[in-house]
Amino acid sequence: MHCPLLEFHDVTVAYGRRPVLWNVDLAIDEPCLFGIIGPNGAGKSTLLKAALGLVPLAGGSIRFFGRPFAEVRGRVGYVPQRETVDWDFPVSVTDVVLMGTYARLGWFRRPGARERKLARESLARVGLADVADRQIGRLSGGQQQRVFLARALAQQADVYVLDEPMAGVDAGSQEQIFRVLSDLRGEGRLVVVVHHDLRTAADWFDRVALIDMRLVASGPTAAVLTADNLQRTYAGRLDVLDELGRAVARRERTP
Amino acid sequence: MSVLAGIPYNTLVVAVGVAAVGFAAGVVGSLGVLRKRALVGDAAAHATLVGVAGAFLATGRRDLPVLLAGGLCSALAALGVLVLLRRWSRTREDAATAIVLGVSFGLGITIVSGITARGIPGGAGLEQFLLGHTAALTAGDAAMLAAVSAVAVAIVLLAAKEATLVAFDPGFAAATGWPVTFIDYALVTLVAVMVVAGLPAAGAVLVTALVVIPPVAARQWTDRVGRMLALSGVFGVVAAVVGVAISAVVPRLATGPLVVLAAAAIFVASFLAAPGRGWWARLRRQRAVEQAWVRGRMLSAAAEVSVDGGGFSKQRIAKLMGGEAGSAGPGFEAAFVSLVRQALVTPASAVTAGRLEEGDRWRLTEAGLAAATERSRRLERWNDLIAAAPQEARERLTIDLPDPGRAAGTDSGERRVP
Repeated sequence: MHCPLLEFHDVTVAYGRRPVLWNVDLAIDEPCLFGIIGPNGAGKSTLLKAALGLVPLAGGSIRFFGRPFAEVRGRVGYVPQRETVDWDFPVSVTDVVLMGTYARLGWFRRPGARERKLARESLARVGLADVADRQIGRLSGGQQQRVFLARALAQQADVYVLDEPMAGVDAGSQEQIFRVLSDLRGEGRLVVVVHHDLRTAADWFDRVALIDMRLVASGPTAAVLTADNLQRTYAGRLDVLDELGRAVARRERTP
Repeated sequence: MSVLAGIPYNTLVVAVGVAAVGFAAGVVGSLGVLRKRALVGDAAAHATLVGVAGAFLATGRRDLPVLLAGGLCSALAALGVLVLLRRWSRTREDAATAIVLGVSFGLGITIVSGITARGIPGGAGLEQFLLGHTAALTAGDAAMLAAVSAVAVAIVLLAAKEATLVAFDPGFAAATGWPVTFIDYALVTLVAVMVVAGLPAAGAVLVTALVVIPPVAARQWTDRVGRMLALSGVFGVVAAVVGVAISAVVPRLATGPLVVLAAAAIFVASFLAAPGRGWWARLRRQRAVEQAWVRGRMLSAAAEVSVDGGGFSKQRIAKLMGGEAGSAGPGFEAAFVSLVRQALVTPASAVTAGRLEEGDRWRLTEAGLAAATERSRRLERWNDLIAAAPQEARERLTIDLPDPGRAAGTDSGERRVP
């Protein structure tokens, strides 16, 4: 029987009495680069955290490969937002990447030669082989984001979820991250990315979901990022009208 | 051995016990500090008094293991209250910690002073748990403290991987299936155990110094968790042993304050002198950066005034750099000397051309001219980059003007500037 790689069924999440996500119904069937797009405070990151069991659901269910997340954690790689950790923490780049292997190692077992090799390969893949021994605070924002990506690669997952991996990241790092994500998709993995930048969304994602508390639309990028859908997602948010105009203009230019 | 010959056997045993406690407190405390739980240990420490006094009242005896077991119970109870306060009353962590610390300490003091006031036999010594007092420790007590410390260190060695993961990134730890809450509770419990074990050495009021100051001092010296733990342990040993030794020599001096002062001395030394993160090292780095900037501007100014291969005076350079002639600001002279030493600037007497005007006593060498050209090239390219891609520039530009082309790194150069 065929089941979706990732399925949100009637997902509602509330902080206190305020709903952050409202009856989100979304299924991703095929490996692809999937963007979750929406304005600030739309609940995009909450949707990811709900999928990873980090925030409780008020209602609904989320399944990976047709099963609850807790049963398939090992197959899901996670890249949290960069600002969630203290980069002054006394660990090296390699130390952080090795953390991607901890779940597989289990209690009390230390990373060995195999894990170190995996960490090296992951770092090489994101172009950070030459800073492997550096303390993480001495990296640029883009490099730090790539360390997190390398850590997720070391998880050797089938589905990757990334929370704003392009936020505050220089163009070079963005390109590099995007290339790694494309490669993952090419290897038949699903990559789900929370993303706030409309300008790049159309270029990067195969499919997108527009979210503003509720699901506005989802499907192939070109079909979803219409002026009408964007208007419904960003309605009343004057600060993004300009961005929206540019995104639409760009879409009209490219056939 | 001859050095130790004059020291009483009991004092030696006590010193070993206290050293073990200092080491374990430093190691365990490091994880607590890294998990940003420094204050929790203090709340636990202040809560120990209730349990110590309670255990005395319940048993009527002053056996150290019994009293410390009581202290551990009340410390853990206080941490439980702390968790409940935060969960059910929406009190912020710092306020909740302060409340638990104050209330439990007040309660402890009340009970202890009540015991003293009623003259309950044996109760007079309880105040020693306030500020620490090691003279009364028996060899057996010290051995027990050492054993507890050894177990605590062993647990840290076993679970350092898990504790570090949770301390660094609890969200990722939870998403990858680690029981973050359990690991947190285990860590806090371990901190409470070490706080209790440190009571004889430092007392309830000051024992937090053993679990907080050595880790913070150790962090100054290293960028690796493992080394930080080890170094923190060593600092803990030094602080504890120095404190105990001085109080053994000077009669009627409480140990706790001495331990804290010893730890503080280590901290101040680390804060000032540690390479990398220390104050002195940072100051020197900052100076070097400023110097490099002044040198760069000086080179550019020199190149500007010596277009036709002419020489220049310091005054003209200073004026061009925005300073008053003669008083070109701090660092000017040093930067100039440095340029001369690097053979970028040389005395003009070596110039063959006869164009030197009055007062023009210096000129750029060939290398100096090349360096100035390179600098203006980089400045120009950085300015372009800042105009074209401010985000990009903000990410990569440093005041020592790296080569924009090379710093671009990999392969995205052609896409960056349209």
